[in-house]
Amino acid sequence: MNSLIYILPMISVLAGAFVLMLLGAKSITKTKTFNLITVGFLIVAFTLEYSTLFLEREGYLYENIFAHVFIIDKFATIFNLMFTSGAILTLLINNDYFKSRHYFTGEYFALILFSIFGMMMLAHAHELLTAFIALETASLSVYALVGYHQNKKVSSEAMLKYMILGSLTGAFFILGTALIYGATGSTSFDIIALYVENHQLKDMTLLVVGATLLMVTILFKIGAVPFHAWVVDVYHGAPYPITMFMASTFKIAIFAIALRLYIIDFSSINYFWTEMLQVITILTLIGGSLIAINQKVVKRMLAGSSIVHSGYLLIGISSIGIGSDLAAPAIMFYLIAYFLSSAGSFGILSFIASQNKQEMTYEDFKGFAHRRPYLALIMSVFMLSLAGFPSTIGFLGKFYIFTSAIDSGQILLAGLGILTAFISVYYYFKLIAMMYFYPSDKVVQKFSIDISTIMIAFIALLIIWGGIGTSLLSFLPGANGFIEIAKEAIVSLK
Amino acid sequence: MSPDLFYLLVSLLFSIGLVGLLSRKNLFVIYMSIELMLSSVNLLLATLSKVLGDANGSVMALLIIAIIAAEAALFLAMIIHLYKEIRTIDADEFNQLSEAEQC
Repeated sequence: MNSLIYILPMISVLAGAFVLMLLGAKSITKTKTFNLITVGFLIVAFTLEYSTLFLEREGYLYENIFAHVFIIDKFATIFNLMFTSGAILTLLINNDYFKSRHYFTGEYFALILFSIFGMMMLAHAHELLTAFIALETASLSVYALVGYHQNKKVSSEAMLKYMILGSLTGAFFILGTALIYGATGSTSFDIIALYVENHQLKDMTLLVVGATLLMVTILFKIGAVPFHAWVVDVYHGAPYPITMFMASTFKIAIFAIALRLYIIDFSSINYFWTEMLQVITILTLIGGSLIAINQKVVKRMLAGSSIVHSGYLLIGISSIGIGSDLAAPAIMFYLIAYFLSSAGSFGILSFIASQNKQEMTYEDFKGFAHRRPYLALIMSVFMLSLAGFPSTIGFLGKFYIFTSAIDSGQILLAGLGILTAFISVYYYFKLIAMMYFYPSDKVVQKFSIDISTIMIAFIALLIIWGGIGTSLLSFLPGANGFIEIAKEAIVSLK
Repeated sequence: MSPDLFYLLVSLLFSIGLVGLLSRKNLFVIYMSIELMLSSVNLLLATLSKVLGDANGSVMALLIIAIIAAEAALFLAMIIHLYKEIRTIDADEFNQLSEAEQC
């Protein structure tokens, strides 16, 4: 019975998905109602998950049925909290967008819940095949969501590209699993970790090849540079809510499995990948910046910038390999920071798109500050946070990442990271300049108060509050508090 | 019987799938290449299961078949949907997004 409290959030999300599928069969329910039901189930899941945060935990989920397949630890709980809150924010911010488009039906919301369920499984997974099934559950839902706009050709094309490349890397993941199974005779993380500890690197070529194939899949899903070909096109083709969902929540999910694999399982042979990761990090930082600089459509620029942010996170991953204790909590903090900033900026784009249906280029933002002063102000906050300006949460995220890089002696990577942060100022501030430095002949529009704008403003406040780092509200952890929680979570892994 | 032949067959099938995926334009052939890659991994798992004398590998192969089936459903649905849109299943015809980059 002890496991029940830990599995209830997952059950609640899954039950919500089935309820929405049933409701979706009849077309009498309104999109707004679907959205409310989805958010309701997610809030239940979030509350249940939060109630387990401070419990003593040990062992596995229903050990006598599932053996050591699902582990219970603080790490998984914290990631599950991030997934559910990410989905809640995505759905609430896009409330206006859902109302303005006709193609969002019940199945859309059911798919979001299925994908969240897959991600929660992924955070709990303690076995490679389970991780693969969870990853595919989440990915297959996201593939379908990317192509959800049936009558728009770019949406289907984005789905085609994402699905072909995603299935290809899925095949690599399962090949890696099979090779590791061949080497160790098991796919359970416990036994793999034991095997790695008791062997020399030169005796386990098969396992190293398998683990590298797993890493290829992970690098593909986060959009690191040799595997980045899909990112810009898919982000561009997908509807705004899905772009936001992929950029923030899905990326966090991939890091859940990456951290678990490379902190516990392969920790003693991590040095084998360090050089490989450093090269990939350098390519990602530079390549992502080049892509982002050349874009004219704001959505594509944000896609390029998401590649650069993957590069910063990879700095953290390679610092883990060298043995920095700061790196893993820094990655978790950076994920939160990037999640808030990107969710906010995509949220504003989707809010504007819900009112006029054209593509948004830099040109369309000319004089935006004169038309909608408050939205322009909030957008500037998000851009500052993405660029990593002090007094925003993005600055603290970059600060922790670079500290961990210097701590592990990777001065070159830290320097390159700072350089690309300066380059990124160009494409983020171009948007701010477009908004503020051009006159507008249109009339000033009022700041409409509804759920979307309130959530966007709320995220902007969170970003500034997290950046200043003081615990103004005593019952919520400040930025320092969060890094403590992240450290505890990483300790619970070992 | 020596498992080496099976390993050879697995690597051949996987490579054929990979080359097919990279070089062919027809969406159905691309889809079949991906299936071939996944199925070759299944064969590898079954072989390893026999070599190690452990049933886990075979069970994993069965579970992966279920995943392949789920992927097949989505992939075929997508191909039909794409065909309805522009009446072709040539992968090169879907290039709107790459054109958007240039303008």
